[in-house]
Amino acid sequence: MMNFDYSRATSLEEAATLARHPGAMLLAGGTTLLDLAKCEVARPERVIDLTRLPGLNTITVGESGATIGALATMSRVADDHGIQRRYPAIAESLLLAASAQLRNMATIGGNLLQRTRCPYFRDPAGYPACNKRDPGTGCSAIGGITRDHAVLGTSDHCIAVYPGDLAVALSALGATIQTNLRAIEIEAFFLMPGATPERETVLERGEIITAIAVPATPLAANSTYLKVRDRQSYEFAAASAAVGLELDSDGVTIRDIRVALGGIATKPWRAIAVEDALRGRRLDEGTVREASRTAVDGAKSHGGNAYKIELAPCVVARAILKAGGIQ
Amino acid sequence: MASVRPVKLDINGKEKTLSLEPRVTLLDALREHLHMTGTKKGCDQGQCGACTVHVDGQRVLACLTLAVQSEGSAITTIEGLAGPDGTPHPVQQAFIEEDAFQCGYCTPGQIMSAVACIREGRAGSDDEIREFMAGNLCRCGAYPNIVSAVRKAAEATA
Amino acid sequence: MTLIEPRVKHGDASDGTTPSGPLGREIVRTDGPLKVQGAATYALEHQLEGLLHCVIVQSTVGAGRIVAVDRSAAEASPGVRLVLDAGYSLMLRSQPDFFGNKPEGDDYTPFATDIHHNGEIVAAVVADTLEQAQAAAQRVRVEVEFGPVIATHDDPRAGHGNPVPLDKDWGDPDGALAEAPVVLKATYETPREYNVPIEPHGLIAHWEADDRLTIYEPSQWVDGMANHYATWFGLPFENVRVVSPFVGGGFGSKGQALPHSAVAAIAARMLRRPVKLAVSRPQTFTAYGGRPATRQRLKLGATEEGQLLAIDHDGSNETAANAAFIETLGIVTSMMYAVPNFRSRQRIVPVNTVTPGAFRAPGKNPSAFALECAMDELAVELGLDPVELRLRNEPDVDPETGKPWSSRRLREAYAAGADAFGWTQRNPVPRSMREGRQLIGWGMACGTHPVYSSPGEAMVRILADGSVEVLSSAIDMGTGTYTILAQTAADALGVPVEQVTTKLGDSRLPRAPVAGGSQLANLMTAAVHTTALAAREELIALGLTDPNSPLRDRANTLIIADGRIAPPSGEGISIAELMAAIGRDVLEVTRDTLPRKERSSAERLKFFTTLGGMERGTSIPKSRHSFCTHFVEVRVDEDFGTIRVSRVVSALDAGRLYNPKLADSQFKGGIVMGIGMALLEEGITDPRNGRILSANLADYRIPTNADIPHIETISVGIPDYDATLLGGKAVGELAIVGVAPAIANAVFHATGKRIRRLPITLESLM
Repeated sequence: MMNFDYSRATSLEEAATLARHPGAMLLAGGTTLLDLAKCEVARPERVIDLTRLPGLNTITVGESGATIGALATMSRVADDHGIQRRYPAIAESLLLAASAQLRNMATIGGNLLQRTRCPYFRDPAGYPACNKRDPGTGCSAIGGITRDHAVLGTSDHCIAVYPGDLAVALSALGATIQTNLRAIEIEAFFLMPGATPERETVLERGEIITAIAVPATPLAANSTYLKVRDRQSYEFAAASAAVGLELDSDGVTIRDIRVALGGIATKPWRAIAVEDALRGRRLDEGTVREASRTAVDGAKSHGGNAYKIELAPCVVARAILKAGGIQ
Repeated sequence: MASVRPVKLDINGKEKTLSLEPRVTLLDALREHLHMTGTKKGCDQGQCGACTVHVDGQRVLACLTLAVQSEGSAITTIEGLAGPDGTPHPVQQAFIEEDAFQCGYCTPGQIMSAVACIREGRAGSDDEIREFMAGNLCRCGAYPNIVSAVRKAAEATA
Repeated sequence: MTLIEPRVKHGDASDGTTPSGPLGREIVRTDGPLKVQGAATYALEHQLEGLLHCVIVQSTVGAGRIVAVDRSAAEASPGVRLVLDAGYSLMLRSQPDFFGNKPEGDDYTPFATDIHHNGEIVAAVVADTLEQAQAAAQRVRVEVEFGPVIATHDDPRAGHGNPVPLDKDWGDPDGALAEAPVVLKATYETPREYNVPIEPHGLIAHWEADDRLTIYEPSQWVDGMANHYATWFGLPFENVRVVSPFVGGGFGSKGQALPHSAVAAIAARMLRRPVKLAVSRPQTFTAYGGRPATRQRLKLGATEEGQLLAIDHDGSNETAANAAFIETLGIVTSMMYAVPNFRSRQRIVPVNTVTPGAFRAPGKNPSAFALECAMDELAVELGLDPVELRLRNEPDVDPETGKPWSSRRLREAYAAGADAFGWTQRNPVPRSMREGRQLIGWGMACGTHPVYSSPGEAMVRILADGSVEVLSSAIDMGTGTYTILAQTAADALGVPVEQVTTKLGDSRLPRAPVAGGSQLANLMTAAVHTTALAAREELIALGLTDPNSPLRDRANTLIIADGRIAPPSGEGISIAELMAAIGRDVLEVTRDTLPRKERSSAERLKFFTTLGGMERGTSIPKSRHSFCTHFVEVRVDEDFGTIRVSRVVSALDAGRLYNPKLADSQFKGGIVMGIGMALLEEGITDPRNGRILSANLADYRIPTNADIPHIETISVGIPDYDATLLGGKAVGELAIVGVAPAIANAVFHATGKRIRRLPITLESLM
């Protein structure tokens, strides 16, 4: 790791000003930045420590919605009773991520911005070609080992998977990302790689996430997160799904549903086709499984990741059934 | 470019002042600069848990924490876990009795994690202990005995 | 089923005997207090004045030739003291590795000029601080002429490999297979697997004088490693000291000095300062090879009743392009079952990999994977219970050598394991057991490990205060050596175990061979027992004859018990009182268990610093092995293909257990590692350049606590004095053998899918 300057920001404005300098990087939990700096993927010249900024770690859960300060740690959010009660998918997605220690470190804002686990991206010495890391150099993953790579949202320039869990839950629950400059709907927040895989979100230089707002809806209160992986714990998803489900008063008709997928796409992947196919339909296993197949419409295999195209609809279906109380 | 700067750390209730570059991790500050080697380096990239310490009472990974970032926080390491008279912490005692380690290298991290796990109220069942201790890898495979030790210590301190 | 009534203690691995002395008792680890306080000093934690930090630079291509190394940017980096490469280093004397591979020529450098594998050391940087060395290492520029890479044995260009002289033949396997009513043919594969001890490799090298080198390095064999350094640097063996009081896990990977070890010693020599070299976690995957990928083709012929008629075995493993490593794949195949017609062949397939190495139960582990899966397949084919099939082929004598077993309590293990597991409740039909969306499978398999033995040496010191020291260069990597040697000495001397301390892991101490092959506990308890008995005799002789002894002429002999020395009837005195009376500060005895005729110093050195002294059983009249059987329950999600091991019962015959509590930990540890092998662990190699893509602990997935269920172990062993002096057999590597096939067999039972390539990941079951 190259040496860098370090400063602790005392106000959001100061942090934003410092962050505009080329070579400046923001430090919150540090679990991504330090990891990538050790891999020589991140090469900050100046690190701006946000962790002592006042007022950015509060969690407010009210009737109309919840606001989670960007500096709240994953574990604090997961342990918040209001979040657990009204947004179970958020709490579950956090508890199924990383380890207890990392959850005590990583912040909600930083969690959204975690970088891909693509082994080619993480190994600049071994793989100089990586469009995400060094634009225009090519993609080493294409034609390589792709078991953990995306099948949705890929381009000829990048097939790296978005690794996070929380953002998948937030996508299903229609969250909004608040920054020091604006509010951004989560659907618009993450970018697909296209020809510019180095750009993963719409955040501008000097723009800092301050909070995440989640609307209170019946489907949020009846939401769940299901994560599938080989190892029982402490592993990224092979495929995951977040589902929010609202039933009619008859208890069997789907009034509203929102579905998002993780571990299979270049960004948190909303499955609108699944939602459309199920809204107004009866909640039964056959219907759910049929509709869940559309979750991978347009998916493209690169060899080793073909299994994800089969796996993802199963995960979606099971998550919907779980949210509907059918185990 | 930044050079060394004074960094004041509160470790096990004692203030230590070091001259460190900003890039020095808390783990290397402990091991290489303070010669407090109870905290172990197993991967140096947040994947094994051997470097688990407590910062302001929370279990965290020292390998992904900058030393300078910890200024103003209370740091507890394995060396600070026993009582003032040297009495082992109940978790340390339980680890010995249950033979919850073999080579001993992941052990300080396991113990720091276990103390926090119990404090967090996450030692309610064997399955809960397994999940909330999953961030501490043990290659000797002492997991069944670690679960027994955590359960025993949790019951003793309940 | 013809199961034998179990008569064993359940719930832990107590060996069922009731020891009267300290040996055989369940006492806690004597090194436990240091370890739980973080006060046990591992190699890189030794504090030396003026220590510098060294970081290695590894190649990023899989094959080729180094054209140039540009050291200038690194040399100009802050804090840098030295940048080494093949063109700027010391030339060492070449010597064979552990496995007999000798580099070409008389000279050796750890820095590559021709690249044989991705991750080979090409340069190293020494700086004042770790951070400076790490940063500067990134600035070494290596220009390479690329060569063609054959990354793995899956590459068709790798070919079928080269035969190795391990042929085993008896009877007429071709004829028997041609006429066998039932024939099973299948091919089984295991991937590259890595030891990944949680303490990574590394060392501190310190030249105390121009001709005296001290090395602090985690070691499974301090004498062997000291000899390695001595040869490299042309020093007398005595001038190299290797210190390794605690080892953060090894599993076979810390038995010899490795190229990075030479780098640190060279750097320290050139700078005349102590140098610390910590291999980073990603670098460990090519600093040491781990278990090579293997492929085995098996043909089993049997009668309709399940009597084996023939086994035809053909195995191959990957090796390095420039060195031979043999994973002995036919080793279990040839001795597990009674079979009248047998053939085994083995080949090694050179590819661009680091030289593979020993990893827990080398050979035995993959060998049993293939054989025990094939036996399960045969049982299915025959409609027989897999335990019953094995009982029908249980050999009375070692089928390979014809020798009688020293002990083989596998029938007892089947009975005890099946009983504790509830095996008779099993519905043999695949996919017949489920709970909700979880398919439940029950499977079983066996394992075995030979009893190896080398000589050992120990010193026992009785001090003025009556306390006892046991000293040996043997090591403890969590295996319990500290504890069981204290127990052994206490037992033989007649003192409380609390009165005994053990000092280990320093090549200045009396000699010991490698802690490998699960041999150390047996051979070192034998050496300490022998030495302690001699010390006891000497103490008794002093008590009887010393002019100042209060016990003089009180009896014909004396008895030592509980730390007191006394005539057979009547009052005695404490050992401390006797020592005071006769005016001795210390009574010191050194003994070894070398064969009587081998006493020259050159012979002694050879015994303790090469594998030449390892007795593999040819001259011993009995066939000596440990045995085990594992019964496993898995739950497979029918949608996701995810597999969870939900229950394990293992019954093990490892002879007498010197400390059942600690032996049990090793049994469980082996089972845990076997679960990882079956379901998770795989070194993933980029076929384009031979680079290890899973070179970290997130992508090379070892089990977490959450992956491990309750494990019940049952010891069915009894003291086997034909196997070893004190009746123990192999422990440390036994229990991993057979776990992976038991799981694969359970997965078949759950799903009806036979997976013959490890690890069994979710996509293979979808």
